Amino acid sequence: MKVRISLAALAVTALVAAGCGSSNSTTTTSAATSATGTSTQAAASGGGSGSCAASIGIEAPLTGQVAVLGQEQLAFAKLAIADDNKANGTNITLVQGDTQLMPAQATTVTQQFISNNKIVGVVGPAGSQEVEAVGPLFGRAGLAFISGSATNPTLTTSGKNPTFFRTVSRDDVQGPQDAAFIVKHLHPKALMIVDDQEVYSTGLVSSMIPVFQKAGIKVDHESVSQKVTDFSSLVAKVTPDTTVVVLPWQVAANAQQFGKNLAEQKKNATIVGTDGTFSPSAFTTAGSYVSSFGPDITAIPADASIVTAAKAAFPKFGTFGPPIYAATHVLDEAIAAACKSGTPSRDNVLSAVKQTSEGTSILGQPIHFDTKGDLIDAKWFLFKINQQGKYTLVTGS
Amino acid sequence: MSKFIQELVNGLTQGGLYALVALGYSMVYGVLKLLNFAHGDLYMVGAFVGYFVLQWFGGPTALVVPVPIVLACMFLISGVGVGGLGVAIERFAYRPLRDAPRIAPLITALGVSFLLENTMLLLFGASYRDYNTSAFIPFSTGIHIGGVNIWIVQIMVIVLSVALMFGLERIVTRTQLGRQMRAVATDREAAEMLGINVDYTISATFFLGSSLAGVAGVMAGLAFNNIYTLMGFILGLKAFTAAVVGGIGSIPGAMLGGFLIGLAEAFITGYVSSTYSNLIVFGILIAFMILRPTGLLGKVQLQKV
Repeated sequence: MKVRISLAALAVTALVAAGCGSSNSTTTTSAATSATGTSTQAAASGGGSGSCAASIGIEAPLTGQVAVLGQEQLAFAKLAIADDNKANGTNITLVQGDTQLMPAQATTVTQQFISNNKIVGVVGPAGSQEVEAVGPLFGRAGLAFISGSATNPTLTTSGKNPTFFRTVSRDDVQGPQDAAFIVKHLHPKALMIVDDQEVYSTGLVSSMIPVFQKAGIKVDHESVSQKVTDFSSLVAKVTPDTTVVVLPWQVAANAQQFGKNLAEQKKNATIVGTDGTFSPSAFTTAGSYVSSFGPDITAIPADASIVTAAKAAFPKFGTFGPPIYAATHVLDEAIAAACKSGTPSRDNVLSAVKQTSEGTSILGQPIHFDTKGDLIDAKWFLFKINQQGKYTLVTGS
Repeated sequence: MSKFIQELVNGLTQGGLYALVALGYSMVYGVLKLLNFAHGDLYMVGAFVGYFVLQWFGGPTALVVPVPIVLACMFLISGVGVGGLGVAIERFAYRPLRDAPRIAPLITALGVSFLLENTMLLLFGASYRDYNTSAFIPFSTGIHIGGVNIWIVQIMVIVLSVALMFGLERIVTRTQLGRQMRAVATDREAAEMLGINVDYTISATFFLGSSLAGVAGVMAGLAFNNIYTLMGFILGLKAFTAAVVGGIGSIPGAMLGGFLIGLAEAFITGYVSSTYSNLIVFGILIAFMILRPTGLLGKVQLQKV
């Protein structure tokens, strides 16, 4: 009997490991898999034939609640590598790591990346809470990592993440500007602001509330888990004076459900979401506003060829992919520059990333990092969702 | 007052779902003394089955048959399908471990939970899927008086869950199968010696419990729209809490616990703050475990020495 139990337990463990370690990406080899639900996989993403060979890791939520976001980031990273390998004659490959937007899994993936000597730079992770967890590890390994969506200001101001960079604006740009827009254009007497209990969300909330309070707006600060899918109890608290509900969330589908709960209870409040809710396929509540750290690249003429390729690779892309394309491009160029002076190593790639100076980029703006790793003159964009569910640019600065 | 009624309805809607899932936990614990942690994932599978039935009928915006028929098919196919899945899980994952130390089936239950989540992930991807119920059952249907807006789907969820619970209660107390279930729950070996087919009884218990989880999954999709492969985890935990609060092993206790947890969540969110909702709900779980481990309606198990 004991043998049967052991066999059954082994079989279940193996099945769980197989299931958790899965990914729907088109990969060629698997580097490592763990039973905790993380996996890293090496993908031949448009590898060129040049002698300048190296690997870049990508940490993204490839499965889980926000897999749509992660898959978009992966698609754009692959595009950037394919384009840059072709342009620079390099042979850069992409190693995938699925974090599911969870710090614990990001830590496991990071340790796998650090132990992989071929990896000289990393794009991601996606969430601020993940960067917070893995930043010191990457710092000790001297490995440059560039996020295309982690926006919490403390990531660069705390000094704990010396090799961290980002190609997006910080919450203290986005948050106060969103708040200022709400005060100036939506004129609420009272508003509800709901965080989703993640670092990203609480950071944005804390940067917005002072602006609202200064304007004399009555603020009801609420908090719900990302895993909640019914907001009817919360919506019942929306008073007639509460004409704006601010949702700095990471799951766009939840914002859509909040909109449906508002309609169900005949509440007329306008939803204002932040970049995490930017998803033209998932969040389409008419009349809502969505801010984003990324532009609508379909409106940038110079990006036409990238847009065509991106639509083929990921038809319903939003604003999460382009900053990752920019981040990957920075690493590709850093590797190419390092190759010119010898073999690309983590040290010289990190050094080259620090010296990045791109006059323009997919984001329609130059890419230069300050000494802390923040993008200089990072922009911020605000869109309104029209009756057809389409996003139209309201302002960008 | 309107806010109170609104929160009451919100709490009963959510509580009905907790109660249906809690019933499965309770029934399985009753006959096998097993905490079936995969039960929340059966609820998720039920939601997906309902979604695909809805798509098969043309999708929310282009249904090819009347809405009541679609709803009946969604509930029926999901209930029977998930019930069958529950029976299969019992047959292949739990039955071989029936006489093993309790830790073995408990770990297996966790394994089955991961297996279901990741199999669904592989098959259908990680994206949220949207029932978009308001496209075929408009928000205007229901009761709208003053500041109270009760959508007909909420009414349906509450009425159907209460009806199913009373139906189950009647099966357990008034039928031959129910007597067998109670006999197996009381003393499996003695029941076997009396000629009761224990395997059949346990399978039937799994079928009934899993069916209720499947139906609850469809209700969740209809009421809350978004479904995804990890949706069963948190609901499973809350339903487990409901089962413990009501008295695990007790069917009326599971119903009571489910509604109490749903109402507690709604009123805490409405009158205190959503920030403390989970804190208080799981605080209730800990308090019951310490102060009244048998729950509200559970019975103290006498152990002969």
